[in-house]
Amino acid sequence: MPSLNINGQDHLVDVDPDTPLLWVLRDVLGLNATKFGCGIAQCGACTVHMDGRAVRACNLPVGLIGAGRISTLEGLDPADPVAKAVQAAWVALDVVQCGYCQPGQVMAAIALLRAVPHPTDEQIDSAMSANLCRCGTYMRIRAAIHHAAGALA
Amino acid sequence: MGKTLRTRATPGLAGSLLGGMALFVAFPHAHAAAPATNVENGRYLARAADCEVCHTAEGGTPYAGGRAFSLPGVGVMYAPNITPDKTAGIGAWTDQQFVDAVRKGVSPGWKHLYPAMPYPAYARMSVAQVRDIRAYLATLAPSPQKTPENALRFPFSVRGLMVFWNLLNGPAATYADDPGKPAEWNRGRYLVEGPGHCGDCHTPRTATFGLDNSHALGGNVVNGWRAYNLTSDRQSGLGAWSDEDLARYLATGHADGHGTAAGDMADVVGHSLRYLSVQDIHAMVVYLRGLPPYRTAADMVEHTTPPAGDAALPQTTRGARLYAATCAGCHMPDGAGRQSSFGTITGARSLGADNGRNLVRILVQGSGMQTTTGVQVMPHFVGGGLSARDLADIASFVMTHFTTATPQDMEQRVRNAQQAAKP
Repeated sequence: MPSLNINGQDHLVDVDPDTPLLWVLRDVLGLNATKFGCGIAQCGACTVHMDGRAVRACNLPVGLIGAGRISTLEGLDPADPVAKAVQAAWVALDVVQCGYCQPGQVMAAIALLRAVPHPTDEQIDSAMSANLCRCGTYMRIRAAIHHAAGALA
Repeated sequence: MGKTLRTRATPGLAGSLLGGMALFVAFPHAHAAAPATNVENGRYLARAADCEVCHTAEGGTPYAGGRAFSLPGVGVMYAPNITPDKTAGIGAWTDQQFVDAVRKGVSPGWKHLYPAMPYPAYARMSVAQVRDIRAYLATLAPSPQKTPENALRFPFSVRGLMVFWNLLNGPAATYADDPGKPAEWNRGRYLVEGPGHCGDCHTPRTATFGLDNSHALGGNVVNGWRAYNLTSDRQSGLGAWSDEDLARYLATGHADGHGTAAGDMADVVGHSLRYLSVQDIHAMVVYLRGLPPYRTAADMVEHTTPPAGDAALPQTTRGARLYAATCAGCHMPDGAGRQSSFGTITGARSLGADNGRNLVRILVQGSGMQTTTGVQVMPHFVGGGLSARDLADIASFVMTHFTTATPQDMEQRVRNAQQAAKP
């Protein structure tokens, strides 16, 4: 039975090792912030962090996670300055329209700002292009990432 | 099936490796020891010979046949049902008839098989070994599935012509071990040239579609995919691979720094090679390392080292932007697998070799491979809003980002692959 470290807690989950992480998060553990979009790592709605890196939970078999530490939107630390700055920027710029993709957008933005504290437009496009938003909030997402980077300065 | 107990003068093909495995199976049921050994041996050999992949239609009953083989200008052939059904399958055949079909390409009634069935390679297996395969196949559930008639053009429709083909290219036979070489080399040669029939894809063909063994395992194009050069040339073959990487690639379909098997090779790993023992994989490696180097321009590729990190993709070309949006979710800007090592494409020959031939095929057809952690899938990217030009731009970006290749006429290459992939 795979043991998974999710948001700082170890969970023994009774699933096959080829079960995608997203199914475990939503159906086994009831962590519903992470969304199902395409199921083939093409849309980014299911983005979570594994050891701080943005990964697609829909396409990550739990058998491959091993000791990797997973964090989801629910596990963001309110005291963590990057998480705080991104969430504040998202509210300040009213980024969200329908909201379905936004958990993934926020997780991808946090991973980007941890790796590159002051990204250029090109770096934002490079890192965020695989997170689709059918409402087309891309310009507000880009602006909010700059806003959060400024708040972290 | 023939339930006759046979005594064998030699300990069987799989030698000591299989011996251990067979004993485990045989001893708990001592009264059935001999047949069980044969069946287990046969199962192992059927896997080593990869019978299932060709004798199973896509998504169909294993070994019930029906997989289509299209040869441009020749026609379409269907692999037959080899389950023990008495009419649709081979249940009514005698063991000798089965042995003749596998080793000589002649099935009952002097019906000559076409060499899509690799009988020239299978002739390297002994009669006893082929009988073991029969013993295994006889344990399968009979399937009544009828095999569709071949649709071949004249003169290829005349099976009797194969008599002449066989004179030119035809079955070899089991050959003695080379006493000057280590046992593992001999075992490796047997696996590669016999049941593994690696040359059927990796050896170029002569004008009569026979194997051009003067360039054995020097690479070939099969079904539009490049089956790469396996000789020990450092730049176009396996010469620069470590033994460990080669063994890992054969056993799992992936080795970091060399990418992941795709297309027909993914089937070979998923249904055949991953079931072979560690010792047999090692023997194949030993034999492949000993192939004299032969340089092939189509397999040459020189890799670059792109920067890592999600923010590292230039956004200056369409191809780069499309890669960021459609590929980087799994393959990262530097080619590292984001969530699975099977997604690590760094160092793969397909990233640049042969003007992106296999790269384009993978984009257009996708690929899937059975592994111990489930099926690893690369989805295809036809439809879903991506045009032929989009795929060509992605391919061109990949070739120039990860290798020093110069892409040429990629959009036409994508269109050709799309045409070939149509059912």
